[in-house]
Amino acid sequence: MTTTLRDAVALAERPARPSPLSTTLTFGWRALLKIKHVPEQLFDVLVTPVIFTLMFTYLFGGALAGSTQAYIQFLLPGILVQTILFVTIYTGYTLNTDISKGVFDRFRSLPIWRPSPVVGALLGDTVRYTVAAVITITLGLILGFRPDGGLGGVLLGVLLLLVFAFALSWTFIILGLLVRSPNAVMGVSMIVLMPLTFASNVFVDPETMPSGLRAFVSVNPVSHLVTAVRGLMAGSPDATEIVWVLIASVVLTAVLGPIAMRIYRSKS
Amino acid sequence: MTYLLRDVSTMTVRGLRLVSRDVDAMITAVLLPVVILLMFVLVFGGALDVGTDYINYVTPGVILLAAGFGAANTALAVEHDMSSGMVERLRSMPVTAWTVLSGHVVASLAKNLATTAIVFGVSILMGFRPEASALEWLAAVGMILLFVGWITWLAALVGVLVRSPDAAGGFSFIVMFLPYVSSAFVPVDTLPGWMRGFAEHQPVTPVIETVRGLLAGDVATAADPGGAAALAVAWCLGLGVTFAVAAGLAFRARR
Repeated sequence: MTTTLRDAVALAERPARPSPLSTTLTFGWRALLKIKHVPEQLFDVLVTPVIFTLMFTYLFGGALAGSTQAYIQFLLPGILVQTILFVTIYTGYTLNTDISKGVFDRFRSLPIWRPSPVVGALLGDTVRYTVAAVITITLGLILGFRPDGGLGGVLLGVLLLLVFAFALSWTFIILGLLVRSPNAVMGVSMIVLMPLTFASNVFVDPETMPSGLRAFVSVNPVSHLVTAVRGLMAGSPDATEIVWVLIASVVLTAVLGPIAMRIYRSKS
Repeated sequence: MTYLLRDVSTMTVRGLRLVSRDVDAMITAVLLPVVILLMFVLVFGGALDVGTDYINYVTPGVILLAAGFGAANTALAVEHDMSSGMVERLRSMPVTAWTVLSGHVVASLAKNLATTAIVFGVSILMGFRPEASALEWLAAVGMILLFVGWITWLAALVGVLVRSPDAAGGFSFIVMFLPYVSSAFVPVDTLPGWMRGFAEHQPVTPVIETVRGLLAGDVATAADPGGAAALAVAWCLGLGVTFAVAAGLAFRARR
């Protein structure tokens, strides 16, 4: 028996309030629907890793490692890290777009768990990271990447990367909440991420760098992440680096998560 | 002839004013080549064996890359003139209308000369030590200007043909691609075979080799009639004339 609109409106008791989990998953689904309706937003996710991988493998591979085949083994885990870190920017970018369009004002009027739009967006973006990772690894395999760690090593490497990306996303959420336009989010994020990814061990062994730069590379969190992912994929995991990345992820989430939520509430 | 020169100089001054007012583009035109220079020298320099200090090897390539960025801005400026109605106003005046293109090109040459000077300055601070005589310096700058000339005329042609700023902006991607697939950053013989063929026979490689040779004080490069210098000049003049004529014709055809 179906309930008529009149009966539904006339119900004495209010419907049960949705749980934090269900609202978070709903907003995660919304993030995925955005990709479905605006597939162009995946353009960067698809094209950036392809361009970087091809350019560095074929243009610099021979000069840096003697052959493209040798260089791709070193390069691919680094490119994977760089790609995923760049994709994390979109979390803040899409959040800022929603705020500037007024969508978030409508969410605030709903009887839902306050952080669910933000946490849901983060969960949805994890799918975006996974897509970028699959594309990068597939291209690498086509170009001759042969990880000694096998499928298990690759999956663990990607998993570690996704954990760190989730934690780092809070940085861009804070940025998305603070700056005025989506383009400003993109610009500021690039200024932060470009030096971090290039002044790291993504492309070359830091031993060949000047001492001042080498000192920065050794404390650069991206370098630790690349070393950890590279180790897992090569079948020789570096426990110290893996623990370092996991601790960094926990600290980032524990510190930046509450700050992001506080800023989010203050904007209400 | 006097009127023509006056029109070109007026449009050049206008072009330079437009450049000076677009602060973002000016900063990008200067900062981007400097950042690329720093990145390649500091991050990759130690790992790349090019037979000389990497800073000496890469500076000419970065200068030509900077020229590409400058040309991309020219495409945007010309497209804006075409779509904003500026050209229609000029056509109703006793002005040689196509001088608007010449103005943009000459302004771009001036801007690129300034960018080149800044990149040279930064590279010298980073340890670049050219061994060129005054005459070789002059020849190197002339070669750079020839390169900037043809690439800017190509940008002007693109600016006339396209119908949106996005399409004009897309031109920069193609222009940026050429110096990478050349001897700008790594020796051509380290590239895979299929890529080497393209790198050896595209216009950017002989220009870079010539500028590199001149700055290193290697007069033999410039003197060899069948060498890189002759090839570079032929490429630049040939492409420059072709694109200038094509831009002029496209400009007249577009209403």
